Amino acid sequence: MPSQPMASVTRQLSRRSVFEALLHRSPISRADLAKVTGLSKQTTSEVIDAFEQQGLVRPIGRTSGNVGRTAVLYELSPDGGHVLGIDLGARLTVTLGDIAGRVLAETDEPTDSRGGAWALEQIARLADRLARDNHTHPSRIRSIVLATPGVVNPRSGAIEMAPNITGLGHLNVVGLLSEKLGSPVAIENDINLALLGEIWHGCAQNVANVAFLALGTGVGLGLYVNGQLVRGENGAAGEIGYLPIGGDPLQAEARLQGCLEYQVGAHGIVRRYREAGGGDVGSAREVFERAQSGDPRATDVIDETARLTGLAAATVIATVDPQLIVLGGSVGARADFADKVARVLLRLAPRPVEIRTSTLGKRAGVVGALSVALNKLHDELFSVADLAAALPLPPPRVQ
Amino acid sequence: MTRESTHCFAADLGGTKLAAAMADAHGRIVAELTEPTDRRGGAHVAEQIAASALKLAHAVGIEAARVRHVMVGVPGAIDPLTGRVSLTPNIEGLQDFDVLDYLRGRFGPGVEIENDVNLAMLGEQTLGCASRCRNAAFLALGTGAGLGLLIDGKLFRGARGSAGEIADLPIGRDPTSQAAATSGAFELEVGSLAIVERYRRQGGAAAVTVRDIFRLAQEGDEVAAVVLDTTARWVALAVATLQSLLDLELIVFGGSIGVRPELYERVRLALPAHFSRPITIAPSRLGDRAGLIGAVCAAARALRQDREPAQHALHLT
Repeated sequence: MPSQPMASVTRQLSRRSVFEALLHRSPISRADLAKVTGLSKQTTSEVIDAFEQQGLVRPIGRTSGNVGRTAVLYELSPDGGHVLGIDLGARLTVTLGDIAGRVLAETDEPTDSRGGAWALEQIARLADRLARDNHTHPSRIRSIVLATPGVVNPRSGAIEMAPNITGLGHLNVVGLLSEKLGSPVAIENDINLALLGEIWHGCAQNVANVAFLALGTGVGLGLYVNGQLVRGENGAAGEIGYLPIGGDPLQAEARLQGCLEYQVGAHGIVRRYREAGGGDVGSAREVFERAQSGDPRATDVIDETARLTGLAAATVIATVDPQLIVLGGSVGARADFADKVARVLLRLAPRPVEIRTSTLGKRAGVVGALSVALNKLHDELFSVADLAAALPLPPPRVQ
Repeated sequence: MTRESTHCFAADLGGTKLAAAMADAHGRIVAELTEPTDRRGGAHVAEQIAASALKLAHAVGIEAARVRHVMVGVPGAIDPLTGRVSLTPNIEGLQDFDVLDYLRGRFGPGVEIENDVNLAMLGEQTLGCASRCRNAAFLALGTGAGLGLLIDGKLFRGARGSAGEIADLPIGRDPTSQAAATSGAFELEVGSLAIVERYRRQGGAAAVTVRDIFRLAQEGDEVAAVVLDTTARWVALAVATLQSLLDLELIVFGGSIGVRPELYERVRLALPAHFSRPITIAPSRLGDRAGLIGAVCAAARALRQDREPAQHALHLT
């Protein structure tokens, strides 16, 4: 019947706008929902009834204080569907959220150092435990997003250019994880997701053009432009470890690991401190601690790291002109380090740009993963995909 | 009743010359002219642009009042909020004069201005060598250095309209120096003045312009060849930087220096040593007309968009 698709599209649009109003204005009455959405009271009530039956909304009380009848207030039900955000790095963090974007629980532990299939097994175990501890069945998790370093090959599903986690390069991570967890898994670069995390809940809310410069074990850049992530032609945009900064880009280590990352990655900081005669330290954090307690060699190494990071930021400013640069990662998010970078930039960039440090810290990636998982769930429930179909043609008529 | 607008006007304003064209709604150029840019700059240049539109309208035999879609490429960054132009060292007084406001006063609200290299990128995307690209750049090398960016199929201008102002890339000269603060560290290393200066420093005498150096290199002058090699290595570093930031499908080489095969072939040879993944570069197909053609494409598109709703309304009644 030709009129059927149109009716379902209209209904889907109504459902979508009622859901959106609930997402942002709960608790809210049916009358106010009608007002906010511009839909008729009858349509609003029909949608709410359907949502209640589906378990998407629940009544949580009544309006009070006014003369006359009171109205029932509704909110999105925490049982309406769950989403999972996962951040796979040196540590593994898993966050369970509900359909309204509330974080229900979060857990983290060191990533299985054997990497590869072991790490995937570990993800499944943590996800399962998190779901059961929160009295939800794993099957109610409807959307999952995994943050990982590197680039996801869109054809094979494998994770490439992630030298800091072993054994992922040859696995179909998307396929294997989706099977283990029983729902579709999407993978996205961890720095892109950290950027989205800062935009949703962190220091980059309501900014249209943001660059997120992450400095930790590795180095990377996330770019968010006019409301969208910049991924590049092969998903490799922002792989700034390969920027020709900080040394001879033709040298063997620089070619393998990336010229910039070889110098400013955590290993680079430790190596340069040792080369400067500072002795053996176990981590970049120790170099920072020694600098704070007055070790001049450590200070020099940190200053040089800040200078190179400032140069990288200057290339970003000259090329993409962001409104804001967020510094993140275990090294980048340190306030003392960010101050140094900002001072370097004052001398480098003719057009100064605001610098902020990540407010979500090591949670940025998992919060971003949760936000994308939510977007995907909402899209799945309320997208208006039918609208793209061709208009039904009238039957043939004889002239 | 206002008469229907049938033609659009496009101009590409450079430091030395102004190119202008009148085109129909299909983007077909019906008349064009080139003249030296008014050296007095500022308001004089804006008047010169308006006058060239009138000249072309007269030549084609249409009333100037029917030209209401205008696109002008300018060599500078355009603030997306105010429409004011900055970073234009090659034209006197352009930042102190509101070109957009002046031209809107003359031709109405259908006037737009756009960075010239962005328009060159648009020209290559519409009619040139980037026709299937969604992520590409137009690298203009000449007196200065500039970049037009296409990201996910659309022109990308940045938060303050200064995306692609790569004269300031911290590649080449000391980016903290006083000179770099005014001209840009990268431009100081690869701009035409820098190339001529490098030739002189290395003992070459006969070259006065970059064109001379290209000719001498072709004639077997070793100093000229070394100078071009060095320049190409700096450009390769910039290209590696762009690729590492943006993962582009194609980088189009344009501008009076960028289009020269003696340069971009050297860059092509230098790239594998500077970047571990392949990078595709190609010379501009539209050459020194890329900016003007991009402006024509944009103006003609605006003209068509203005006319189509009217046609659509006819169908409904």
